[in-house]
Amino acid sequence: MTLLSVKNLKIRFRSGDGKIHAVNDVSFDMAQGQKLALVGESGSGKSQIALAIMGLLARNAEVEGEILYDGRNLLDLSRSELNRLRAKEIALIFQDPMSSLNPYMTIERQLGEVVELHEGASRSAARKRALDVMDAVKIPDAKNRLKAYPHEFSGGMRQRIVIAMALICKPRLILADEPTTALDVTVQAQIMALLDDIQRDMGTAVLLITHDLGVVAGFCEDTMVLYGGRMMEAAPTLSLFDAPGHPYTRGLLRAVPRITEDDAELSAIPGSPPNQTGAPTACPFAPRCVDAIAECHRILPTMQDGRACIRPVEELT
Amino acid sequence: MFNYTLRRILTVVPTLLVLIIFSFYLMRLAPGGPFTSEKPLPPAVMKNVLERYGMDQPLYVQLWTYIKNIVFHFDFGPSFSQKDRTVNDVIAQGFPVTLTYGFWSAVFVLVLGIPLGIVAALRHNSFWDYTMTGLAIFSQIFPNFVLAPILVLLFTLSWGLLPGGGWNGGQWEYIIMPAIALGTSYMAGVARLTRGSMLEVLNAPFILTARSKGLPERTIIWRHALKPALLPTLTYMGPVFVYMITGSVFIDVFFSTGGIGQDFIDGAYSRDYAMLLGLAVLYSLLTFTLNLLLDLMYAWIDPKVRSNL
Repeated sequence: MTLLSVKNLKIRFRSGDGKIHAVNDVSFDMAQGQKLALVGESGSGKSQIALAIMGLLARNAEVEGEILYDGRNLLDLSRSELNRLRAKEIALIFQDPMSSLNPYMTIERQLGEVVELHEGASRSAARKRALDVMDAVKIPDAKNRLKAYPHEFSGGMRQRIVIAMALICKPRLILADEPTTALDVTVQAQIMALLDDIQRDMGTAVLLITHDLGVVAGFCEDTMVLYGGRMMEAAPTLSLFDAPGHPYTRGLLRAVPRITEDDAELSAIPGSPPNQTGAPTACPFAPRCVDAIAECHRILPTMQDGRACIRPVEELT
Repeated sequence: MFNYTLRRILTVVPTLLVLIIFSFYLMRLAPGGPFTSEKPLPPAVMKNVLERYGMDQPLYVQLWTYIKNIVFHFDFGPSFSQKDRTVNDVIAQGFPVTLTYGFWSAVFVLVLGIPLGIVAALRHNSFWDYTMTGLAIFSQIFPNFVLAPILVLLFTLSWGLLPGGGWNGGQWEYIIMPAIALGTSYMAGVARLTRGSMLEVLNAPFILTARSKGLPERTIIWRHALKPALLPTLTYMGPVFVYMITGSVFIDVFFSTGGIGQDFIDGAYSRDYAMLLGLAVLYSLLTFTLNLLLDLMYAWIDPKVRSNL
């Protein structure tokens, strides 16, 4: 059953030098309990999609399209209607656990206030729930750490707290925006394993937003690739890794180091990210694409059979 | 926390000692003395007077006696210029006056400055924001010695609403103008600072986290944003208290409140060594106390500071 359906989402930002077209015509569906990855480099608009779903875009943003959650268009909801969904139905895990926790409040209060708000729980009931969820994300000695402040935890522990905060009301959808980017590699693996466990136990749908294909490979059934605010490719993760159908995806995969080929040279995609001022009129990747032909600079490709590229797969290098 | 406070209080002792020794010698270095006048006193009378105040002794003996009297009797000695009054008497009479309107002035600074800053930040780039920021900049450029005459000109001479000076046992109409004249420019400073830090805090990632929890805006401001937004204001209040204390000397003289500032000025003119030294000690004690209070408040707000105490 479809839980979330994003249709023709467009996000633009008013700025001094014209409108920045951050997200252009992005559409996708998420089923209950599905794990979907949204992959793209910095500036590809992936975080803005998450913020748009939460209704937390910056004030200078203009949004078009539909974000249907349980059949309701989130873009039409009032602030207080959105507030009832936030954390209760849809929760957001932020990238940087160092700055996304309030340094002046105890962990107990920061976790507890969510339950108090959405379920009318008492202080003591909220404390009990905070303790449960801290155990669930495997924070050692949780009981004695309830009264601690964020600065008393390590980065990995703080990210566990951020995850606990997102889980505490058992939402049906979690948007995880680069949940491991700020952490070192061993901690990354622990956090992803934790998310995996929790997802399996609770049946929550997870939209994983990341630039790290390594993280995606072990976690998500399906992957979408975003470039310049447009969908490039969408496929089940396995087939995407096996047979990428878009030149950009191919370039990304060639840039991932592989343990099996230690002498293989890593290739980078030449060029720099696109300027997104003004509406796109051609494939945004064309200027950097090794397979681009003249039409690529004129035609705006649409998603067909899970890829947005006018050249047939067989002809790609 | 207790240890920290104790340590801070103990450091006052050497600080005060150094302050007393320096001030003592500096004052003696200045030409003239409490009993110099255009018509010199007859030598016999002069000798009598000097003996009465112990000034016939060598300087270090005088200093030792002074410190001994403070430590053992909490006695700051007799005033040299006000007959038959001790410095303790003078302080007991004038200090409560200065402290009273100084307190109300601080209340005015915080109770008006902080809400104005917060409202301006919440209505960022609106009519209210511009009005308040404009007003704040305008009032910040008025030091108390410019504002005080303007207030008297308007409220006393033109409109006859408030008395232009005096104290009258500290009735409220006598407190208003001294308190406002002393506090206005700092109130404006507090408003501007609070506005700036509130704006910054509202853009912090943890406020976005709070929004993503579905908390109503009111809760976000009160529970999540207020404390961190007030930290810079608190830091600013340290020097502000010191400026207000020194500023009160002018206010006491201008409004003839009978506050301690008048005695300070008189003491300086008449080389009243005991008075000047006593008031210097009083002012530094006051400065110290207020700064300690601020630091403790800082620790109360910021858990990181607290765990370092």
